[in-house]
Amino acid sequence: MNGVFLMRVMLGVLAVFTELSMVNAQQFSGLVQANVVKADGQLPWLDGGTGIVQYQDDSLNLQQGLLNVKGKFTSSLSYNVVANVYQNGEQHLGVTQAVVNYKPLSIGSARFKARAGFFYPRMSLENVDIGWLSPYTYTQSSINSWIGEELRVAGVEVSLYNSGRSSRSPLSWEVLAGAFKGNDTLGTILSWRGFAMHDRQSLQNDRLIFANYPTVNDPDGIFHPSYVEPFHELDGRVGFYLGAHLSYYKKTQLRYYLYDNQADPNVVNHQRLYAWRTKFHSLAFSHDFTSNARLIAQWLTGSSVMGQRFVYINFDAWYLMYSHKLGAHRVSARIDNFRVSENDIFPNDINESDGRGLTIAWRYNINKSWQLGLEQHVNYNRAYNRITLAEQPKRDQRQTLGVLQFKWR
Amino acid sequence: MRIFSMGLLLGVTSFMSYAGNIEITVLDKQNKALSNVVVYLTSENLAPQEPIAKIAIMDQVNTQFLPHILAVQRSTQVSFPNSDSIQHHVYSFSPAKVFELELYKGLRANPLLFEKVGVVELGCNVHDWMLGYIYVVDTPYFKQTDTAGKAMIVLPDGEYSLKAWHPRIQDSPESFEINLSVQGDEQITVEIPSSLLPDVNAYENSDNEFSDYE
Repeated sequence: MNGVFLMRVMLGVLAVFTELSMVNAQQFSGLVQANVVKADGQLPWLDGGTGIVQYQDDSLNLQQGLLNVKGKFTSSLSYNVVANVYQNGEQHLGVTQAVVNYKPLSIGSARFKARAGFFYPRMSLENVDIGWLSPYTYTQSSINSWIGEELRVAGVEVSLYNSGRSSRSPLSWEVLAGAFKGNDTLGTILSWRGFAMHDRQSLQNDRLIFANYPTVNDPDGIFHPSYVEPFHELDGRVGFYLGAHLSYYKKTQLRYYLYDNQADPNVVNHQRLYAWRTKFHSLAFSHDFTSNARLIAQWLTGSSVMGQRFVYINFDAWYLMYSHKLGAHRVSARIDNFRVSENDIFPNDINESDGRGLTIAWRYNINKSWQLGLEQHVNYNRAYNRITLAEQPKRDQRQTLGVLQFKWR
Repeated sequence: MRIFSMGLLLGVTSFMSYAGNIEITVLDKQNKALSNVVVYLTSENLAPQEPIAKIAIMDQVNTQFLPHILAVQRSTQVSFPNSDSIQHHVYSFSPAKVFELELYKGLRANPLLFEKVGVVELGCNVHDWMLGYIYVVDTPYFKQTDTAGKAMIVLPDGEYSLKAWHPRIQDSPESFEINLSVQGDEQITVEIPSSLLPDVNAYENSDNEFSDYE
């Protein structure tokens, strides 16, 4: 298939979606990002290596491609589906979110809403662009890179909320609870690869690979494949999460979540994928100093256990980001810090890793649809199980991205 | 030319003889000027009148109602265009007009008729912080105060009640109405008796486009 033909087909599809969104209650929006990368030559986990950034070679890539379809069944019942195409990873086409929202009109200071489907709990204040992307940097924080690859719920969320403006208060609040299945393997990649920094979200049907650590594959040891399929239900148990949002005007936001997948860590399937009992706290904060200057931070701390304490990890990560908008330009800088520490019965299977990173991005809106950006990312990280692959545990990584984005809505 | 000028002068003089320019200033309890207040004059002697403007516009721009407060005469049609590229779902539970209107991008909804006098508080079921007001009055003599708290209304001589309404004023318009006999130009100051309710306009100050999940 030649390039010109492919381009014509894509433009045709775009024209059809644009036409549909003009005349129909259904709203189609989407985004395509193409990048040019200057990479550091280290093989990423996506290709079976131990590098924690996405690209190995200097190259041109399709970084993101997504279509977001929103629509309504009734006045209070709507749906939203996000379909993605990815160049890298094991699966290239699939769905990252599919949700039905119920939000009835009601009077009163506490209103009710609910949603059901396959979706992200709204823990992150970083991933607020279309398709759960970050409008700030391309390489996302270590916390939300992990959430994007391993966490999604197939479940139901109910919320009680109050909009401050209509009750003449500077404060708005929301309390919510979710019940879900299908996130039993959460914690697998964190235990072996550790945290990473990228924007590759896992598709619903995805397989997430990592390096062939001998202690992981060993039939006389843990005996786990070098991959995880993140959205499996293995033990039949229902996980839950609780959340609270508080905001002062639209200026300051605080979000707390407790997430517990309630998995039975002794359950293993025919692929030898385990249910990992993973629970954590997430606290996110953002504050607008002016309408152009925003600070965002998040802290995540928790634990995960697999088998009879075959693997037990504590994890802890935070980031602090400052983003400044100057007309059509946005400059964002973020520091990341992350750590995974272990306390289990297989000391030869090493799960200790840590690191810190700095990401600086400039994004320029050429017009309503086109955006150009540059990003420099550097990190210093250690993963001690690299020793089992005869690699140095310590790494310095760097990645430079030039990104052209087309977005339509 | 002279005849024309004379005619014009006569016309103005005769207009002046039965019309007055009322300059109204609205002050809060701290004597600070209050803008965007709906001031209106009603009279028992006025025959019911058709609204001057048949149609008024309440737009949605950057996920805010524009204007924040729209004053209309009873029996005015209000059109709700959507200047945003996203969907809105406008509603009101106010007794003066209960409705819901789904405003899709690229589709124009039919205007709504506002026949009952009073406050219509508008919300959007997609964007919870959005809040707007339509204030329906039964007189053609109404205006909204400017940033100096002033409004100028031209009206025939006669007996009137002057009332004022704003979402931050907790007193009912009737509780501090001013009865006046208009004869030519007048300046009137309306003082709001009670303290104002908190100002929640800071919700509009953040124009950062990324605030929550898409």
